[in-house]
Amino acid sequence: MTANVLEVRELNKSFDGIVVAREINLTLQSGRVVGLIGPNGAGKTSLFNLITGVVKPDSGTVLLEGAPLDRLAFPQRVRRGLSRTWQHIRLFPSLSVLDNLLIGTHDYPGERLLNVLFRHAHLAEHDKAARERASDLLARMGLGHVAGALVADLPYGQQKLVGVARALMGKAKCLLLDEPMAGVEGQSYAAMQRIVREVADRGVAVCVVEHNVAFIRDLCDEGVFMFAGAIMARGTVADLTRDPQLTELYFGH
Amino acid sequence: MEYLYGIIIIVGLYVILATSFNLIIGYGGLFSIAHPVFFALGAYASALLARELDVPMPLAMLAGALVAVVASVALALPSLRVSGDYLLIASIGFQLGMLEVIKNLRFTGGPGGLTNIPPFLIREFGRESYVLLVLFLAVAVTLLVRWIARSDYGRAMSAMRDDELAFASLGRDAMRMKIVIFGLGSGLAGLAGALYAHYFRFIAPEQFEILQSAAILTMVVVGGLRTTWGPVVGALLLQALPQMLTFLNLPPSVLGPIQGMLFTGLVLVFMFFRPQGLLPAEDVWHGREGLGGTRRN
Repeated sequence: MTANVLEVRELNKSFDGIVVAREINLTLQSGRVVGLIGPNGAGKTSLFNLITGVVKPDSGTVLLEGAPLDRLAFPQRVRRGLSRTWQHIRLFPSLSVLDNLLIGTHDYPGERLLNVLFRHAHLAEHDKAARERASDLLARMGLGHVAGALVADLPYGQQKLVGVARALMGKAKCLLLDEPMAGVEGQSYAAMQRIVREVADRGVAVCVVEHNVAFIRDLCDEGVFMFAGAIMARGTVADLTRDPQLTELYFGH
Repeated sequence: MEYLYGIIIIVGLYVILATSFNLIIGYGGLFSIAHPVFFALGAYASALLARELDVPMPLAMLAGALVAVVASVALALPSLRVSGDYLLIASIGFQLGMLEVIKNLRFTGGPGGLTNIPPFLIREFGRESYVLLVLFLAVAVTLLVRWIARSDYGRAMSAMRDDELAFASLGRDAMRMKIVIFGLGSGLAGLAGALYAHYFRFIAPEQFEILQSAAILTMVVVGGLRTTWGPVVGALLLQALPQMLTFLNLPPSVLGPIQGMLFTGLVLVFMFFRPQGLLPAEDVWHGREGLGGTRRN
């Protein structure tokens, strides 16, 4: 179970001379959790933006299961199985928790206008299945009791969990998590850790940007250290955190 | 009686215009001021098809709506590709430019307008039949927009309006959704135009000026953005009330300014005392109970 799911080859990007990605080569494998470590401004979130197509690279290519994604727009890449979360969560405040998750199913026949106008019978079945999947996911995260609540009424940690649950409603083959643990503690922390591990065990390739070194150490199979838009090292998390050179880069002078 | 029928029809048409504009600006979050020109396109297309080519009138009216759909999609496609804000700029250009085109073409009657538009239903069944048709369609359009807003499609519109990037990150195409909303809303304006043309039987460019856009926007905002009945109340208040004043038998020199003051006065009062509109805007999405959506606990 270590097939290459995502391959990034020689990715470059700079904004007005500021390099955010320099010759990035990265592979993510099925069933493995990779932690992306580095100081602020190292280009970790930018790398997610380049992989998902939110930002277009200057050069380089991104492959999902061997197929190049470069010509596809962000939503199309997501439909292929590239899923991501956001540092600032970005939930839909006008919708309940359950409805936030239902938007996460890529294809919802009830959302095609013609189907709305001429309601087909199979819609009800699809709707029921999607609701069951969403409820099941929420229950596994310990959020079953807040399915009907508005997301703004939830504590921050639970909102982060909803963000991850929403990204898992599609058929993700590769999951990019942007700081899932920032501001998360207690039960939500444990739930997050459990769910990310579960996702990886189902064969999804996971990449996590995180500042919480304990979380990285507990969860990640390996770590990648980024600095100034370049990958400086890749190895076990223990090795990376022991390396005095990397520690100095991380904490500055 | 004929005067009263005229008022009812005008109010009914403004209900369609305000409700369809509510779909665009309220539910879709799309800023456009070209609503009057789609109203005009529907009116001109239907009138010309019926007058010049003897197309049966129900067909001509549908074609009028279709012309508005096609024109709006043609406007939205390139502008939304640039950015959402660009639609506003493009719509100003389209509103002003298209009206100039209509003024300068020969077959549209130029600035003088188009006369002798064939009437629909009036000769055979009397004016009442047309009043009923317009009222029926006004109710139908209001319920249609309500149905869409509360369906799964409405839930997706709500999410798209909340956060477009998050919407895209779930594999959803915000641009396609915006084009559909804009096309449908503009098509309904075109239908209102066609209904207008075959009752009043005279249309001229001055009836579709940019000021109409302000009037329609005011109806939606005063009535209540993203509500079913807000645009209906807005259209009633801002169209029927000034018209009713004419029954007071005031001399025209007094009546005109009073109507103007009433209109601007209402807008000012609402801006200060009730900016959310008569009916509060729905910031939380409500689906139908059961199948359609999940209600808040």
